Amino acid sequence: MTTLIQTFSDQARNMAARSPWIYRINAGSCNGCDVECATTALIPRYDVERLGCQYCGSPRHADIVLITGPLTARVKDAVMRVYAEVPEPKVTVAVGVCPISGGIFRDGYAVFAPIDQHIPVDVNVPGCPPRPQAIIEGIAQAIAIWRERL
Amino acid sequence: MLESLYTPFAALLFPGGLFALVLGLTLKGLDRRLAARLQARVGPPLAQPLYDLVKLAKKRTMLPDIANETLFLGAPLVGAVSMALAAALVPIAGFYTPDPMLGDLLVLLYLLTVPAVVLMIAGSASGSPFGAIGFSREMAMMLAYEGPLVLVVAAVAMRTGMGMGGVVSFSLTDIIAYQQNHGAFLFDPVMWPALLAFLAFYPANLGIIPFDIPEAETEVLEGPLLEYSGPALGLFKVMSALKAVVVLGLGVALFFPIAPAGVAGLLVQVAKLVILMLVGVTVVRVSCGRMRIDQAFRFFLKWPLALSVLSVAIVALV
Repeated sequence: MTTLIQTFSDQARNMAARSPWIYRINAGSCNGCDVECATTALIPRYDVERLGCQYCGSPRHADIVLITGPLTARVKDAVMRVYAEVPEPKVTVAVGVCPISGGIFRDGYAVFAPIDQHIPVDVNVPGCPPRPQAIIEGIAQAIAIWRERL
Repeated sequence: MLESLYTPFAALLFPGGLFALVLGLTLKGLDRRLAARLQARVGPPLAQPLYDLVKLAKKRTMLPDIANETLFLGAPLVGAVSMALAAALVPIAGFYTPDPMLGDLLVLLYLLTVPAVVLMIAGSASGSPFGAIGFSREMAMMLAYEGPLVLVVAAVAMRTGMGMGGVVSFSLTDIIAYQQNHGAFLFDPVMWPALLAFLAFYPANLGIIPFDIPEAETEVLEGPLLEYSGPALGLFKVMSALKAVVVLGLGVALFFPIAPAGVAGLLVQVAKLVILMLVGVTVVRVSCGRMRIDQAFRFFLKWPLALSVLSVAIVALV
């Protein structure tokens, strides 16, 4: 009986892990990484819907959060608020070099990069901007982490 | 004993409830897959809507501070249950006839308005401004498409009733029996205006492009659904999957219920629903852009309403 419940819950977790919904937060990005994120989702060549992913308009529907930009002072409060709206369990992917180290804005007076001082980051996808293939690999790694948290 | 079990069985397992849910999720999966193929993508697996449901069941439902808790959490439940019940009212030609105790076409019409009302309640109970915009758009859409729908149903009921020697017949059993004896309304030129009006109605009711204005992701961030998460959002997904089965099944029953008796009838019904979903929903969805709310409102008050009034007039005069 216990093994049966165990198998059932494993099965449910495997099914749930095939439906990661993605939400994008722009933390003061120059829009370059956002264009690449949109590319991975929208154009047929890099279809992420085959992994079950879906871009959603509301943070409350999200499972995987893609953050771009160096977290500027201007948007910091808004980003923290939106991030808190995403229900657990969630996985965070930092897309581009800005959220990872600050990139060319590093040590600037108006940025709070690296972003992992403020938000727990699980996967880093470096690049300025990263290639769509790299973003897809980052999403795939995020799905693997997310499966453990479910 | 068996009689008293019949109604709960019809609403919970077959053809409402579980059967309709599996069928609805399959239809949604086919829809997403074909949409991806039409855009030269690979697309998600066929069972993707099921995976989404399981995922949502495992997530946490968050409650906004300013939301009215009872309405916020009650709305999706009422919506899903009403659609499960409505699915039990839709006959499957040659295989299943709903118990007259459960209700007739008029009850089905009332149940069909529940999802839109529930979305309006959900949007306003969430306290979000986007929910409020979704609420007003949903209401405008409902005012626009309910009129033509009622007139289409009236035209079909009058045609059946007058053919059988009466005035109107709102019994789906009669409507199906009449068409099986006298040929489907699909091939009856008198009913073509009503058919066209119905074809315009159901994308609006199912909330797909070009009429997905209340839940437009890019404009109002999914409107009434914005604040929902976890199992509550899952119930809305269940509701929309069931609604696809109900609305498409109603179309089949009103216009083309020709099917062999027995299990073959069930298979023919499923095949019809799949074809109607792929041709009438997916192809339309990927080949159109979204209308503005005023354009959609004007469109419905112009063409479908005129066509449905015309069809009632023709049926009454012929």
